[in-house]
Amino acid sequence: MLETGVEVLEFRLAEERYALESAYVQEVQPLKDLAPLPCTPSFVVGIVNVRGRIVPVLDLKTFLELPVKGLTDLHRIILVRGDDFEVGVLADVIVGVRSIPDDTLQPSLPTLTGVRDEYLKGVTAERLVILDLKRILTDPRIIVHDEVEG
Amino acid sequence: MKWSVGTKITAGFSVALIVFVIVGMISYRSTTQLIGASDQRKHTYDVLGLLDDALSSLQDVETGQRGYLLVGDDSYLEPYQAGSDKLDQRLQEIKRLTVDNPRQQQRIDRLSTLVKERLASARETIELRRRGKADEALQIIKTGKDKSLMDEVRKAVSEIKNEEVELLAQRTEEARVNGSMTKWTIGIGTLVALSFAGLAGFVITRNIARPLRDLTTVAERITVGDLNLVVSTDGRSDEVGVLARTFDRMTQSLRTMATAAEKIANGDLRSTIEPQSPNDVLGNAFARMSDNLREQIRGLIEGANILGSAASEIVASTSQLASTATESATAVNETTTTVEEVRQTAELASQKAKYVADSAQKAAQTSVSGRKSAEDVALGMNRIRQQMEAIAESMVRLSEQSQTIGQIIATVEDLASQSNLLAVNAAIEAAKAGEHGKGFGVVAQEVKSLAEQSRQATNQVRTILSDIQKATTAAVMATEQGSKAVEAGERQTGSAGEAIQTLAANVSEAAQAATQIAASSQQQLVGTEQVAAAMESIKQASTQNVASAKQLESAARNVDDLGQRLKQIVAGYKA
Repeated sequence: MLETGVEVLEFRLAEERYALESAYVQEVQPLKDLAPLPCTPSFVVGIVNVRGRIVPVLDLKTFLELPVKGLTDLHRIILVRGDDFEVGVLADVIVGVRSIPDDTLQPSLPTLTGVRDEYLKGVTAERLVILDLKRILTDPRIIVHDEVEG
Repeated sequence: MKWSVGTKITAGFSVALIVFVIVGMISYRSTTQLIGASDQRKHTYDVLGLLDDALSSLQDVETGQRGYLLVGDDSYLEPYQAGSDKLDQRLQEIKRLTVDNPRQQQRIDRLSTLVKERLASARETIELRRRGKADEALQIIKTGKDKSLMDEVRKAVSEIKNEEVELLAQRTEEARVNGSMTKWTIGIGTLVALSFAGLAGFVITRNIARPLRDLTTVAERITVGDLNLVVSTDGRSDEVGVLARTFDRMTQSLRTMATAAEKIANGDLRSTIEPQSPNDVLGNAFARMSDNLREQIRGLIEGANILGSAASEIVASTSQLASTATESATAVNETTTTVEEVRQTAELASQKAKYVADSAQKAAQTSVSGRKSAEDVALGMNRIRQQMEAIAESMVRLSEQSQTIGQIIATVEDLASQSNLLAVNAAIEAAKAGEHGKGFGVVAQEVKSLAEQSRQATNQVRTILSDIQKATTAAVMATEQGSKAVEAGERQTGSAGEAIQTLAANVSEAAQAATQIAASSQQQLVGTEQVAAAMESIKQASTQNVASAKQLESAARNVDDLGQRLKQIVAGYKA
C-alpha cells in the first residue's frame, strides 16, 4: 500500500452511488424506532436512540434534491461523528468500505451545479460521488431555528 | 201363246201325269192277274194233293180189309176205319175246290160213286169174315170185282189229275203272256211319260227361262248403272211379258232420274224433280237432295266467302304461330338445358342424400356408442372430482408450508443483513485501527462477502420460493377452477349425457329421415330423369311444332288459295 488514498463508506441514495469518508463514520445501524420530530426542516426525519444517545437523522435526498420515496425497515443509518456533533445519515443501501486512490479522485464535474457542487469532495471514474460531510454539516441551512409558539 | 206361265206348266206336267196313271193301271191289272194265276196254281196243287190223299186213304181201307180177311183180328180194321172216315171228307173238299169246272165235277161224282162201291164191297167182305164166312168173302175177292174197282178209281183219279195239270199249264201260259205284256206296257209308258215331261220342260224353259234370263241380264246392267238399253216385250201377255213391261217402265223412270242427276252434276240445280208416287223413295230423295243441294250450295257460297276471309286471317295467325313456335322452341331448348342441369343436380343430391343417409346411419351407431361414452365420462368425471379434492388439500398444505419457508427465509435474510452490517461496522473499525486493523478488515470483508452470499442465496431461495408460491397460488387457483370445472364438467356431462341421448334419438330420427330423403331423392331423381326425358320429347315436339307451324303456314296459304278457287268454283253454280 505505497500509494496514499482515502477510505470511504460507499452507499446508495436513490440509485446513485455516494460515499462518505470512513474517518467520520462511527458505525452503521439498521433504522429502528425512528421518532419523528416536529418543528424541524424537511431533511430532519426524526430522532433515534442509539445505545442511550439521542441522534437526529438526516435525509440527504431532500438535501441533494433527489426523489424521496418514504422510509422502510430496510433503510440504514450511518452514524457520523464530527468534532462536536453526531448525526445519523439515511442510506438506501450500504455497499461497503473501500479505499479510493487519490489520483483517481477528480474534481467536481462541470455539469454538476448548485447544492451538489457545494457539498462535493470529488468524483471517481466510476461516478462514485464522495460527499464532503463537514461542509454539509456546517451549512447554515442545517441549523434549526424554528420556534413553535405554543 | 195366250196361256199364262202357270197354265203352261200345269198342261205340260198333266200330260206326263196321265201317261203315268195309265201305265200304273195297266201294271195294277197285270199284277192282279199274276197274283190270280199264282192262286190258281196253289189251288191246282191242293186238288192234286187231296186226290193223292184220297187214293192213299182208299189204299189204307184196302190194306185194312185184306189184313182183317187174312187174320181176322180187329186191330187190322184200324187203317180201314181211318181211311173210310177221311175219304168222304176229302172228296167233299175236292168237289168244293173244283166247283168252277163242270167237267171236273162230273168226274169227281163218278169217282165218288166208285169209291162208295169199293167201300161197300170192303164192308161186305169184312162183315162176312166177322160172321166167320171167310170163304164166301174170299170168293167175293176172287171174283176180282175189287181189283177192277180199284183200277177204275185209279183211272178216274188220273183223269182228274191230268185235267188239273192241263188247266195249270194253260193258266201259267196266260200269266206269262200277261207279264210280258205288262213289261212292255211299263217300259213304253214310262218312255212316253218321260218324253212328255221332257218336252214340257223344254217348252217351259224356252218360253219362260230365256226371257227371264234376258231380263236378268237387263237387271244386271241396271245394277252396274247402265241405263242405255231396250227391254223387248215381244207383245207377250203372260207374267213374263208383264215383268218385261214393268222393267221397261222402271228403266225409263231411272233414266229420268239419271237425266236429273246429270243436270245436278253439271251444276244446274234449277230443275225440279216430280216424284212418280208418294212411295217413290228415290224420286222423293232426289227432290229433297236437289232442294238440300240448293240450300247447301247457297250456304257453300257464303261459307266460301267466309272461308276466304278466314283463310286470310289463318295465314296471318299461322305466320304469327310459326314465329311463336320458333320462340317457344328456343325457350323449350333453354328449359331442356335447365332441366338437364336440374337432373344432374338431382343426381348429385341423390348421391349426397345416400351419403347423408349412410352417414346418418353411422352417426346413429356413433351416437349409441357416444351415449355409453357419456356414461363412462360421467363416472370418469366423478373420479376426477375426487382426485381434484385430494389435490386441493395437498395444495393447501403446500401453500401453508411455503408460508413457513418464507418466514424462515425472512429470518435468514435478516440475519444476513445484520451480518452484513456487522461486517461493515467491523470494516469501519478496522479502518479506524489503521495498519493494525488491516487483518481484521480482511476478515470483516470475508464476513461481508459471506453475508452477501447468504443474502444472495436467500434471495435466490426467496425468488424460488416466490416462484413456488406463485406456482402454488396458481396451482391452488387452478385446482379450485379445476374443481369448479370438474363440477361444471359433471353437470355438463350429465346434461351432455341427456343431450347425447336426445341426440341419439334425434340422430336415429334423422337417420330415418335421411333414409327417407335418400329414397325421396332417388324418386326425385327418377322423376327428374322422366322430366328430362319428357323435356327432350317436348323439345323434339317443339322442333316438330316449328316445322309443323311452317308447314301449317304454307298449308294456310294453300287454304287461302283454295278459298279463292272455291269462290270461283261456287260462282259457277246456278242455284
